[in-house]
Amino acid sequence: MKMCRSSDKKLEKFLLSKEVETSFNRVQAQSIKCGFGQQGVCCRLCSNGPCRITPKSPRGVCGATADTIVARNFLRAVASGAACYLHVVETTARNLKAVGEKKGKIKGINTLNELAELFSIQEDDIHKKAIRVADKVLNDLYKARHEKMELVEKMAYKPRYKKWEELNILPGGAKSEVFDAIVKTSTNLNSDPVDMLLHSLNLGICTGVYGLTLTNLLNDVMLGEPVIRTASVGFKVVDEDYINIMITGHQHSVISHLQDRLIDEDIKRLAGSVGAKGFKLVGCTCVGQDLQLRGQHYQEVFSGHVGNNFTSEGLIATGAIDYIVSEFNCTLPGIEPIADKYMVGMICLDDVAKKANAEYVNFNMNEEEEISEYIINKALESYKNRRCKVKIDIPKDHGHDDVITGVSEKSLKKFLGNTWKPLIDLIAEGKIKGVAGIVGCSNLTAMGHDVFTVELTKELIKRDIIVLSAGCSSGGLENVGLMSPKAASLAGDNLKSVCESLGIPPVLNFGPCLAIGRLEIVATELAEALGIDIPELPLVLSAPQWLEEQALADGAFGLALGLPLHLAIPPFITGSKLVTEVLTNTLTNMTGGQLILEDDVKKAADKLEQIVIERRKSLGLVVEDEGEIA
Amino acid sequence: MLKRIKVDRDLCMACLNCVLACMDEHNKKGKSVYDLDLEDVSNGSRNHIELDKNKCPTPIICRHCEEPECVYTCMSGAMTKDKKSGLVLYDEEKCSSCFMCIMACPYGVLKADEVEKRVVLKCDMCGDREIPRCVESCTTGCLSIEEDE
Repeated sequence: MKMCRSSDKKLEKFLLSKEVETSFNRVQAQSIKCGFGQQGVCCRLCSNGPCRITPKSPRGVCGATADTIVARNFLRAVASGAACYLHVVETTARNLKAVGEKKGKIKGINTLNELAELFSIQEDDIHKKAIRVADKVLNDLYKARHEKMELVEKMAYKPRYKKWEELNILPGGAKSEVFDAIVKTSTNLNSDPVDMLLHSLNLGICTGVYGLTLTNLLNDVMLGEPVIRTASVGFKVVDEDYINIMITGHQHSVISHLQDRLIDEDIKRLAGSVGAKGFKLVGCTCVGQDLQLRGQHYQEVFSGHVGNNFTSEGLIATGAIDYIVSEFNCTLPGIEPIADKYMVGMICLDDVAKKANAEYVNFNMNEEEEISEYIINKALESYKNRRCKVKIDIPKDHGHDDVITGVSEKSLKKFLGNTWKPLIDLIAEGKIKGVAGIVGCSNLTAMGHDVFTVELTKELIKRDIIVLSAGCSSGGLENVGLMSPKAASLAGDNLKSVCESLGIPPVLNFGPCLAIGRLEIVATELAEALGIDIPELPLVLSAPQWLEEQALADGAFGLALGLPLHLAIPPFITGSKLVTEVLTNTLTNMTGGQLILEDDVKKAADKLEQIVIERRKSLGLVVEDEGEIA
Repeated sequence: MLKRIKVDRDLCMACLNCVLACMDEHNKKGKSVYDLDLEDVSNGSRNHIELDKNKCPTPIICRHCEEPECVYTCMSGAMTKDKKSGLVLYDEEKCSSCFMCIMACPYGVLKADEVEKRVVLKCDMCGDREIPRCVESCTTGCLSIEEDE
């Protein structure tokens, strides 16, 4: 079978050796794309359509122009992406509330106290405090659209809040904002592209403040705060002596009871009764990254993170996975036939991620004990049934043992001595030229699996720009070794010496895509420490291999924060001159943000570096010889 | 070896991928789909899709005819039949814009450029490209390459 490239050569070799069809094979058969779709000018909103914009048909039957059609499609995509993250924060807040109500474990008391203080909650009982914090978040999410959400002002950096107020993009109740975005983009309703782009920014704020930042923090309360540590990654972490449960999704709190229960003595004995050493959770997709991020607290149960979304099919094909628990994306439909072939049972704990061949059990914190027992028994049964029938083939040479993980806004600051000053000094001296957040997904179309991400990262660190990563991008970057201290040798001389003296890699692993919210806290705190606004920082974002609608909602937050955001594949907007102009140019005078579309690695790195240099100049910082920038 | 584009009209879904592909390939601003300005009437496609009397989509694509009416009616020598490749070639420098070729084409494939009405939009089989872009972009198999010895 023909297959696409991966930056991860060992993964590529492993997939080639298997008689299993994966996304890597299917991407070939889907290589011819529809140009109207790529440019965003196909409209399917009514039965007069589908209409497509061509030179001979510049308007849809209803009269919609390319600008209207593109803006509608874009807002719908951002609304869907925002809805996904808002679902995640809603689940997380409901779980925190349930933990409070049942007086369950609070593992991140510091974060709880900080949030309570920020939300002006005075309460001594930690469980009541957890309930009130969760309620604050839920109340905001459920507000009507005309009622502004309260926590935005408390969470956002002041100059940004003011800017959003000026632009009239402060969101009302987040779910209502999504709802009306759907209304707006329906048949013969809003046709104003600018209004729809502003609504996209509003949804970006909903996504960033709630879906990303608050999800992280509420999870830290329930599951523990990230601690910097060394971890193993890749297929090598899979140990066939255990009953292996693969996890996919984005909602870490949904497996909080399970991950503790799996290492109880009675459960270990149960595993022993069928000849296994115990149970292990095997990380895959963002929830695996989240577990890795908080791995300090879960060393026994967590075998390690294997890889990102497009590694999941290969992971099942090792034969060593006995059961799959999923609660959100990225749970590819492509895992279904592979799970069937390898006799792996699947369960979904949230119907938004219900897979066709999976059993569905609705997760509810009040029934978590029973649900965990059920999963454990199913996994045990599956192990007993399949192990004698399936060949196990784990490429043990895949991965690394020295990946630095557990990096968060707090653990990084703590590492630097509880102050950002050392980092700011390194930037000011030019030892670190700037900061780039390489975030978002992995796709197979921007040069191949993780190829653009890895090449762009290498190009940036070579130019002394430190890279912070969150999302499936980190899954790819850690599996090729860029998040191991030894990767310092690939950095430019200045960055290399910084990394070597601190014992850190030039690419820092913040974990799941949710942690894009953590990167943005870092950006905010750096700006705060310098007394400047975020668009003045020598900091750029790139989601080179963005995949899904959620990434577009994340991107809308980046643009609302005033960050330059690079994408290798245009988000289906280029059919509209107006939308393209606003997002790639006009926006700099509005939020300070800017969309950069560039499908060439070197040119993308040039553009991002150029922005970093310009920002350095305006801050009056040392700018070295520019000769190398062609 | 003579190359021709073969059309299996039953397979046409009217997706217009072949039309966009033709515009992409002949776009002076670049060949990527993202270089294509879908509102720019000066970049016309050399092929088109029409509905037949039963409302079935039919790709209209230059046949590079054995007995090319467009060549026979051309008085300026702009349209020529290349014996070796079998292609009907068009030289816009020589064209006097009389458009006899458009009137004579039995398939109705030829048309004048939209803006200046000065030159004829004529399939060149994408020059040196091994497979014409329209054929490469056809998802249904409606368009394919036929080779005659």
